[in-house]
Amino acid sequence: MRTQAAKRYQRRFLSSMLAYVGILFACVWATNTYEPTGVPLIILSVLPALPVIIAMVVMGLYLIEETDEFVRQRIVSAMLFGIGVVLSVSTVLGFLQYNDLVGKVDVFWGFPIWAMSWGLFQCFLTWRDSRVGGGE
Amino acid sequence: MNNRLRVLRAERKWSQQHLAELLEVSRQSVNAIETGRYDPSLPLAFKISDVFDLTIEEIFSNPSKENA
Repeated sequence: MRTQAAKRYQRRFLSSMLAYVGILFACVWATNTYEPTGVPLIILSVLPALPVIIAMVVMGLYLIEETDEFVRQRIVSAMLFGIGVVLSVSTVLGFLQYNDLVGKVDVFWGFPIWAMSWGLFQCFLTWRDSRVGGGE
Repeated sequence: MNNRLRVLRAERKWSQQHLAELLEVSRQSVNAIETGRYDPSLPLAFKISDVFDLTIEEIFSNPSKENA
């Protein structure tokens, strides 16, 4: 059963991701069509990042609004796991790049890797919970 | 931290879901507390003691005394 905070989070997160897709496509189209330079190019480059930043705010709100302390503790654990994955991947990648074994990798992959790691860890915790104790 | 939550709940013939609703938490929370995978905060422990009309010590065992 999802808590009210979780339902609100899903709704807000989905909205921010839909905005991200829309803004990203619009910015790519505008950049290719008008080939802007200077300040307009900076604005078009930064715009797609705004919904992603909003998504992070939404995640923060979820933590604040979640009243179930056990669920909140699991979210924090999963977030920390995600941070661990991102830091580990970036460290390994950095050393591979240092020795010219890997080329340029866009740093904006950090957020999706973190979010996916978080989600996978949450799935693992849910699976583990379903195996321990059972429900009545 | 060991507790008597499962026993007390069974005595009252309550499901985990029913207890969760009384405590205003998820069923997973009740399950995690019962199986000792999660120790509730003091406010939640007081809420549990209110629901069962018992003191906290009658529900949760003192870990330092357990080890003594």
